[in-house]
Amino acid sequence: MSEDEIHLIVDQLSISFGGLMALSNVHFELRKGEILGIIGPNGAGKTCLLNCISGFYRPQWGEILFKGRNLVKVAPHVIPNLGISRTFQNVELYTGLSTLDNLLAARHMFIDYGVGSALFHFGRAKREEIKHRRIVEDIIKLLEIEDIRDHTVGSLPYGLRKRVELGRALVQEPEVLLLDEPMAGMNVEEKEDMARFIIDVNELKGTSIILIEHDMGVVMDITERIIVLDFGNKIAEGIAGDIQKDAKVIKAYLGKT
Amino acid sequence: MGAMERETETIPKLLRKRAQEHGRRKIAMRKKDYGIWNEYSWQEVYDHVRWVAYGLLSLGFEKGDKITILGDNDPEWYWAEWAAQCLGGAAVGVYIDCVPSEVKFYLEHSDSTFVFARDQEQVDKVLEIHEQVPGVKRVIYWDPRGLWFYDHPSVMDLKDLEALGRKHAQDHPELLDDLISLGREEDIAAFCYTSGTTGLPKGAMLTHRNLLYAVKALWQYNAFLTTDNYLSYISPAWVTEQMLGLAGGVLVPFVVHFPEKPETVQKDLRDIAPDIIFYGARLWESLASTIQVKMTDSTPLKIFFYRVASALSHNRLKAREKGQRVNVALRLLHQLADFVVFRPLRDRIGLARCKVGYTAGAAISPDMMRLFHAIGINIKNLYGSTEASVVSLHKDGDIRYETVGVPFEGCDVRVSEDGEILVRNDGVFVGYYKNPEATERALRGGYYHTGDAGVRDKGHLIYFDRVDEMIQLSGGKKFSPQFIEIRLLFSPYIKDAMVFGGEDRPFVTAILNMDFDNVGKWAEKNKLAYTTYMDLSQKKEVRGLLAGIVKELNSVLPEYTRIKAFVSLHKEFDPDEAEMTRTRKLKRKPIEERYRDILSAMDEQKDSVRVESKVVYRDGKVGTVKTQVFVNTLSDNGGRGR
Repeated sequence: MSEDEIHLIVDQLSISFGGLMALSNVHFELRKGEILGIIGPNGAGKTCLLNCISGFYRPQWGEILFKGRNLVKVAPHVIPNLGISRTFQNVELYTGLSTLDNLLAARHMFIDYGVGSALFHFGRAKREEIKHRRIVEDIIKLLEIEDIRDHTVGSLPYGLRKRVELGRALVQEPEVLLLDEPMAGMNVEEKEDMARFIIDVNELKGTSIILIEHDMGVVMDITERIIVLDFGNKIAEGIAGDIQKDAKVIKAYLGKT
Repeated sequence: MGAMERETETIPKLLRKRAQEHGRRKIAMRKKDYGIWNEYSWQEVYDHVRWVAYGLLSLGFEKGDKITILGDNDPEWYWAEWAAQCLGGAAVGVYIDCVPSEVKFYLEHSDSTFVFARDQEQVDKVLEIHEQVPGVKRVIYWDPRGLWFYDHPSVMDLKDLEALGRKHAQDHPELLDDLISLGREEDIAAFCYTSGTTGLPKGAMLTHRNLLYAVKALWQYNAFLTTDNYLSYISPAWVTEQMLGLAGGVLVPFVVHFPEKPETVQKDLRDIAPDIIFYGARLWESLASTIQVKMTDSTPLKIFFYRVASALSHNRLKAREKGQRVNVALRLLHQLADFVVFRPLRDRIGLARCKVGYTAGAAISPDMMRLFHAIGINIKNLYGSTEASVVSLHKDGDIRYETVGVPFEGCDVRVSEDGEILVRNDGVFVGYYKNPEATERALRGGYYHTGDAGVRDKGHLIYFDRVDEMIQLSGGKKFSPQFIEIRLLFSPYIKDAMVFGGEDRPFVTAILNMDFDNVGKWAEKNKLAYTTYMDLSQKKEVRGLLAGIVKELNSVLPEYTRIKAFVSLHKEFDPDEAEMTRTRKLKRKPIEERYRDILSAMDEQKDSVRVESKVVYRDGKVGTVKTQVFVNTLSDNGGRGR
């Protein structure tokens, strides 16, 4: 595997909370343009790993290398600027704002005009706002949420909120997308839709994706490679078919056999 | 040549004329995209049509060829259809929810050589049956989403077709103009397949003259303006959109608007506030029931204002119907009511600027017509058919709710001895494609035989029902089940109804489909817990609710047509199970066949009947659902209701 194919490296990452070792010596590489699945039982450290990559947690040991930078030292609000965006397991949107405003708000980091021009909304401010709106509308179209554009997010059903949250991550035009259980609590149809959107994003924009998901069927269907975590340790890595047969994985999921 | 030119008017010639007259100065279309209304001038529209036409030419399209279009209402549909018509070809529209086998039927039967399919879903349908229809040369899509990596040799992007066309246009700059000039008004412009309540669909061939006739006729009663906004919302697979949108769009011309997505129509409608709206009777019905339910859900103050305003407005209508003068006080009060209540209400439903609302497809009850007139929407019965275009319409100031209006000037309408409506006008079609027997039968004696039962009354035309649907009762009298069904549907709690009766049945019975949303709301209000449609439909309270509605209707019906027993069906009628057509017309025969047990249980006045029905799940597995359906018998004193 050549060097330039690798998008992100997690190297010997460890983090502990008091005496609890949440992640120990986790190492893996994310390749450019792939969908990498992370699975594991409850409390295995999956979300913890995403929190480390997105800067929410500071790991005690190890490195996360992205574009030649060690993300461990980067503040969480800077990480999206580098090209990594995420969604949350429990939807974290502004419930009082409309879908459109939620998405536009996520583009605040690209705002490049000063207070003066913002106040009068001419010239640069206007041009930039049009550009932002266009990018947001692209995502609205991609995720087929035109009909809820002006709906308050708080009034939307759960499945749609999840979709809006994916949209918010996408309008930041990330190179790497971290999805934390995007299909939790959805019905079959909503899951199918979400899976299609994830594949569309991956194919159309070439975004590399790390996907945490509990629904094994979905993970096996849409990911190329899978990493299995158990009690903070990586116990397996490989393609879907091999993972299903792996003795350690079966043991972690089903207990002793 | 000059005189000939003026006489023979075709849709492409009109389109070319609009482009010459208005160029880039006037808007022809607006399409909502990216949350904003994007405009196309007449020149831009004409350019697209030219490129598509040249593209088709370069791929071997010949005069008389057919294209099939599968899609939603988009400018691209219009361009493709007009392009085919420029080349002397015809367009065949197909509903987007057709399954591959149906698509195959249309492609095969119409001998289409090109298919325009909106998106991945539609392209996939065509590809599934592609091998079986060798006549199809290309499948052209206009929404590339999900199709980025398709490499099927016959699948292509509309943009690429236009690029081919642009090149071809450079090499043959005069060719298309000549072809358009060659067009004649008796050329076939479109095939409209009749919805097929019985047997396979028949492809009615419509000429340019046929399609242009409808708007010309409507013009007699309503002044259309070139500034009028029109929302393209009915599927162009239906003749109505062909006549109003595709023909009227170039003839008047209207500014044609396309909604962003089918799901956003309600919102887009409010954005545009169209001047002319055409809804099927079904849609008016559901709109009426939405208004009623939303109003009862409203705040006490609003309910109060609505009630007062409605009472006022109904009084005014009644006075007018009787030909009395409306006194000044009532007129002033009505204006106040209009300002306070009705204008905001009309705005809510997107009809703030609506000059006229047409209804057709099925008869609509007088009560509902009154409801719309009362809130200030000028709704009019329009009678016509795919094969005979428009026939009659209500005139302003001469509206009789029980009729379908007065025949248009130049439209010869007769009623045959056995009660069938016969029509002769410029809209009468030239025949069914590849079906000379049916053509002969429909057009015998120089009139189009509508198959509708009706009668002329003081200039007006009254429509009863389809001739075949009039049913002889055991007592020897004839009755129209539809007449009763329509009145049942006026209740917001009933979504579908089918009424049965006949020589072999002791009395009239009915199968009802409750409206899940509205009955569900009602149940919540009455603290009635339920799980599924099946569960709710069989609840004693719900059956009581429906019985009340039936009783009230019985009180206004003649004795012999009163409903003596009904069931609240455990499931909704479904087009996928062949119980209704794609335009949501119920199919009597299949329903009678399928629910034979229920019907005989009603005839025998049993208490309940066990029903087993097959269901096909999403993954293709077939299962059976068993349930008990209760029969509700009504006593003879149905007249007590009111």
